[in-house]
Amino acid sequence: MLVFTGLYSIAGLGVAFLLGQCGIVSLAQSVFFGIGAYASAYCTTQLNWWAPSGFVIGIAASAALAVAVGWPILRLSGYFLALATLALAMIGQVLFLEWDWLTGGTLGIGGIPKLSLFGFDLRTPQRFYYFVWPVAVLVLWLHANLLGARNGFATRAMRDAPAAAAVLGIDTHVLKVKIFVSSAVLGSLGGSLFAHYVSFVSVDSFTVERAINFLLLAVLGGAKTIVGTVLGAGFVTVMPHWLTGFGDIHPLLFAACLIAAVMFLPEGFGGALQRALRRGREA
Amino acid sequence: MAALLEVRDVARSFRGLQVLRDVSFDVEEGGIVGLIGPNGAGKSTLFNIISGFLASDRGQVIYAGADISGRSVPQRSRAGLVRTFQTPQVFAHLTVLENLIAGCYKHTNTGVLANLFASRRSRSELHRMHADAEAACEKFGLTAVRHRPAGKLPGGQQRLVELARAVIGKPRLLCLDEPSSGLNTGEVTGLMAALERLAAEGITILLVSHDMDLVKVASVIHVLCFGEIIARGPLVEIRRDARVREAYLGA
Repeated sequence: MLVFTGLYSIAGLGVAFLLGQCGIVSLAQSVFFGIGAYASAYCTTQLNWWAPSGFVIGIAASAALAVAVGWPILRLSGYFLALATLALAMIGQVLFLEWDWLTGGTLGIGGIPKLSLFGFDLRTPQRFYYFVWPVAVLVLWLHANLLGARNGFATRAMRDAPAAAAVLGIDTHVLKVKIFVSSAVLGSLGGSLFAHYVSFVSVDSFTVERAINFLLLAVLGGAKTIVGTVLGAGFVTVMPHWLTGFGDIHPLLFAACLIAAVMFLPEGFGGALQRALRRGREA
Repeated sequence: MAALLEVRDVARSFRGLQVLRDVSFDVEEGGIVGLIGPNGAGKSTLFNIISGFLASDRGQVIYAGADISGRSVPQRSRAGLVRTFQTPQVFAHLTVLENLIAGCYKHTNTGVLANLFASRRSRSELHRMHADAEAACEKFGLTAVRHRPAGKLPGGQQRLVELARAVIGKPRLLCLDEPSSGLNTGEVTGLMAALERLAAEGITILLVSHDMDLVKVASVIHVLCFGEIIARGPLVEIRRDARVREAYLGA
């Protein structure tokens, strides 16, 4: 569970950053997650290449796709942009199914080797856990850096008042594409890790539903805070699992939890936490 | 010497309605130039064409000797042509200080990757931006509110934030769109003093306003009415002009 939380945090952070700092709703993260996973799966099982090559190829392919698709669609905004990313997710889902020479189609690709680090096999969930979390923390740290630096300020400026940002010399379109690419890279990284962890990938893991889950964790966690993403990822991973204990009504219970979370914590877990901390400091 | 900004025969219509008819005027380097006119005269349209938010149907905008008609807003900004907005456009969720830091964008140059990894250059640049922003807060009397979200400030202070944010980017030509709207008399006086100070520092200011008190600071005024410049000159002359009195002052 905690491994999945870590994995989804990495890919979800890309969505959360787009949503919270750029004001862009992306439903396409499943595609980049899939590209990373299939790149790792194909490189290690079909080509017998060294595992890191899968990471690199996945990231390169995701970044290239993000530029190619992002360049035209990021001229759109609001609902239209969200719909364009949804279309990308749907096309991705179909292609993952149809290009079976690459993805194994409905059968998927199995037997993906476990990662090993300096000769230390990450074969048990516990060991993988100690690998995924430092990666997640590293990724969070990188984004915290970005947020507090030149391009982070520019990004948030663009979100709040795009016209004024342009007047300050910020090329908003180019900046959006850059952030979209970095989001895709995170998606791919999460996907590669996912493939090595579960050692079997199939189309079911990269559906539009997955994309919605990534968006959900960003919204629930509170996209404006970086830590919120982790809490959101924890929620969408742990909660459904835990609720299955209540029998067949578990999807209903999960839905009720979601509604409650959105109603009572409009700024997400991260926002609520931040507020509580601020109150504690003032008291 | 050629003027810093030359507007040449600019025309623009919206759905058959001719908003600007071959408007021409110059802004000389240094000092404050006013552009006034009654509501619907085409001031905002002209302003949007100069700053790059709108394309003209005909005519040219020449800035520092080059035709900039085809250039984007960020390109114009990097060349030193900066505008403000009639309703202040602050970055609402950023603090005042962060608004000013964002204003340093043009004069800094680290990329997304350097920022991600907090490279040494990225960190020293951030340090410099912070110092510049603090200094600008001091200069514009915003020090007391510098850690508050800009969107929570009263209108007058939001204007100051917008102005300070434009000035921190070291503009050559600063275009202000109705900077006194929403300000009280005391604040207008403060704004006039601030504008004169900026002009003395060497920033050329183009002031669009219908506020006759504020445009006193301008040495030359162009009067725009129904898409045409009907008069130009110092305020005293403008006030005597019969067409201006009829069209604008209503006297």
